[in-house]
Amino acid sequence: MASQTVEATRTRDPHPRSTARGPHEDSPAVKWVMRVLVVAYLFFLVAWPTSLVAKNTFANGFQGISDALSDPDVVHALKLSAIVAVAAVLINLVFGVGMALLLVRFDFPGKRVLNALIDVPLSVSPVVVGLALVLVYNGRYGWFGPWLEDQGLQVVFAKPGMIMATAFVALPLVIREVVPVLEDMGDDQEQAARSLGANAWQTFWRITLPGIKWAIVYGVVLCLARSLGEFGAVKVVAGNVGGESTTAPMLVQQKYQNFQQETAYSVSFMLAFAAVLCLIVVALLRPKEGDKK
Amino acid sequence: MSIEVRNVTKRFGDFVALEDVSVSLPTGQLTALLGPSGGGKSTLLRIIAGLDTADEGTVTIEGTEATNLPARKRNVGFVFQHYAVFKHMTVAKNVAFGLEIRKKPKDEVAARVDELLRLVHLQQFSHRLPSQLSGGQRQRMALARALAVEPKVLLLDEPFGALDAKVRKELREWLRRLHDEVHVTTVFVTHDQEEAMEVSDEIVVINEGRVEQIGSPDDLYDKPANDFVMGFLGEVTRVNGEAVRPHDVDISTAPVLAGAAQGTISRVLRVGFEVRVTVLTDGGEEVTVQLTKAHANALGLHEDQTVWVSPNPGAVPAMSRAV
Ligand SMILES: Nc1ncnc2c1ncn2[C@@H]1O[C@H](COP(=O)(O)OP(=O)(O)O)[C@@H](O)[C@H]1O
Ligand SMILES: [Mg+2]
Repeated sequence: MASQTVEATRTRDPHPRSTARGPHEDSPAVKWVMRVLVVAYLFFLVAWPTSLVAKNTFANGFQGISDALSDPDVVHALKLSAIVAVAAVLINLVFGVGMALLLVRFDFPGKRVLNALIDVPLSVSPVVVGLALVLVYNGRYGWFGPWLEDQGLQVVFAKPGMIMATAFVALPLVIREVVPVLEDMGDDQEQAARSLGANAWQTFWRITLPGIKWAIVYGVVLCLARSLGEFGAVKVVAGNVGGESTTAPMLVQQKYQNFQQETAYSVSFMLAFAAVLCLIVVALLRPKEGDKK
Repeated sequence: MSIEVRNVTKRFGDFVALEDVSVSLPTGQLTALLGPSGGGKSTLLRIIAGLDTADEGTVTIEGTEATNLPARKRNVGFVFQHYAVFKHMTVAKNVAFGLEIRKKPKDEVAARVDELLRLVHLQQFSHRLPSQLSGGQRQRMALARALAVEPKVLLLDEPFGALDAKVRKELREWLRRLHDEVHVTTVFVTHDQEEAMEVSDEIVVINEGRVEQIGSPDDLYDKPANDFVMGFLGEVTRVNGEAVRPHDVDISTAPVLAGAAQGTISRVLRVGFEVRVTVLTDGGEEVTVQLTKAHANALGLHEDQTVWVSPNPGAVPAMSRAV
């Protein structure tokens, strides 16, 4: 599998310069039109709306932010979001790395099906994910919920369900980062470690993990950004139990509908800021990863 | 015997990669597994190392039944064709890996690593990363890493296959000298007959999953067990239906030898000190004769000349009679 990947990258572009005199290069007009289109697209879709959020947040300087932070609902929602996101990221970290290893290093019946299933969370609407979880884990009529509730564990309308929903939605992110790196790395180094006396755990810890370290960091950061912002799935699972189970994105919606725009903007800004911070961290990590090669 | 492979069979799906292979390798020797690509050499080596498992048959290493032992418990050093260096570790850390796994004291590890890096002439590179080494240096590092744990046997899978011709030649001479110094039982895989003949004490010829012959380089060259071994170990030409090496063909300008085939020289090719003559016999054979320049000059060989060729009686391979 690994050698196939290497072959593929090697043969992908045998004449990298042969298209240098293509139509785009020849015509400056086309080039300019393309540029303007891209910039306009990004501006109207991303930059302008986001900057308006920032503008509204800081309409009165830092007043908006500090007002929001003195609202106990806001603080509670931010905390809850952080807890849910971190828990979901940890779960996806462990399972993501495990599944990636399973998919790349082992052969088993049903591997292709599993491989396809991993992308389901990306293609299914988060609301559907939430509903599905409610159906299974609901304490009154779910398949599995009543039994769990008898054991004293409430899943739906509580933190465990919200964490599950978030983990589900962000599931592919770690796996899809780690799998290609594992394939590229091959299992030569792992075999060498085994022949030198390392057991499975030592091989993973000393050889595999350092090799996929940056892919994991990248996957985790993406996963964190995605988890912090998750709305649909969590909202369905959280139900209507008042402020107890309101996450930050849900709070934004509530506050906005209750004509507390100022607070809504401030919380939005904080969410966007956290996400951008994540992406900056990733951007800073990426070139480092390239240097190491 | 250091390594005993008995009746090993290995299949990949329907494909039989090894079929009932039995080999005994004596302690302290340098053995080559020689054969064409795809013949099953790597598979056999990996089964000895425990990196693959045989479907049938047993492997014994230094008297220990190893068939079901995992690779990490076999105490076997393995060197891979593409080095398999630990990319994120320095040269010294790479070499120290097996010792650290065995939880040896720090000063002992440092001393042993130093000794090994000296052995492979890499002492000044101990703090470099493998990516800063040339291919030959990486492979020497991989060898030091494998030797660090004092393996009972050292297995090398086409260790020089990825290197260019000059480095490859240097390294195989160096491997021979190293083996004379270290004396660990060594098996190395190669598809290059010259490499196998030059370096090893014993050669196991493997083709299509079967052992064709086992013997010393001289044995194999002079007494190949069959046409395949004969053809694989060196050039072959036919005189009067008999397979011989081109340098074992006698050529004369007069019919002095009984049973010699008459023919005409179609080509004379001079390569350095050697002359290769192609003779078309009246029987329709194309015979290649190899002789020294001095000999060819003495005979005054030229194209379109009529000559007589016959196998040198002292050098006819035993196989043509025995098998
Ligand atoms: N993991 C594998 N799966 C399927 N076929 C394999 C595998 N490993 C080796 N083979 C096949 O077994 C045969 C012998 O391979 P190998 O031992 O690598 O040959 P050699 O080292 O002599 O070139 C080849 O035809 C190869 O395609
Ligand atoms: Mg091979």
